[in-house]
Amino acid sequence: MIPEPTPFDHRPDPVLGNALHRALDPGDQAAFVARVMAALETARAAHWDVLASWARAGIAAAVLAVILLGGILAARPNRTPASLDDVLALAAGPSAGVLVGASSPPEPSVVFPSAEER
Amino acid sequence: MERYAAAVRRVARAVLGDPDDADDAAQDAFLSAFVKLGQYDPQRPFGPWLMRIAANAATDRRRRRAVRRADPLDGLVASGPRPDAEAQRRELGRRLREALAELPERRRTAVVLFDVEGYSHAEIGRILGIPEGTVRSEVFHARRALRVLLADWKETVE
Repeated sequence: MIPEPTPFDHRPDPVLGNALHRALDPGDQAAFVARVMAALETARAAHWDVLASWARAGIAAAVLAVILLGGILAARPNRTPASLDDVLALAAGPSAGVLVGASSPPEPSVVFPSAEER
Repeated sequence: MERYAAAVRRVARAVLGDPDDADDAAQDAFLSAFVKLGQYDPQRPFGPWLMRIAANAATDRRRRRAVRRADPLDGLVASGPRPDAEAQRRELGRRLREALAELPERRRTAVVLFDVEGYSHAEIGRILGIPEGTVRSEVFHARRALRVLLADWKETVE
């Protein structure tokens, strides 16, 4: 005789549990696992396909950006850097040469006449 | 995956009845778990987390599809009485599945998680998203219905 259950039973019923276990036994575990693994592989491959398509779009956008930037830089006027001699030649007085060649901090007596020259 | 496959399939079958639908739902559950693996908190047990996904996958599938009740194997068993023990076990299985199918979905899921899979009332509450007291009540009512069937079957066999 199976005892009447109460709502306070806190342990699984082994008789009922075993009977339900057998009744719901799905069988062929290996086939099911193989099927799910195959589905997982398909899902993973699809995932990488999506990422790859995003990557292709990203690379194309980056290439376009580089081409545009190159075009902008190429369109700007070409400036060659001025040499030191050119700068010294522009400074008419002797003070500029003294300032550039100095190994110690500039003397006010040199700096002020140089500023006055300008 | 092999560790949890049978339990996920049993829970799905308890919800759906049909074994093919149950395996489809179980597969959905594993794929969903794979996608959501980043959301899993390793501090918590894995089983209830997966069972929650499985129960939801089975419920979703049940809502989407009209579930066929017929089981080809059951049909074979029901086609004629067989005196051996295996036939009796199959007959009991068939009757239990029928009795389970008569129960509300939440009730049959709760009793399978408790008596078959061994989860606690608290864990089942978290799996099904219901209070622990409600789980106790659902398991109680399911057991009462199923034990009557088991007792009848025992008397018939003995």
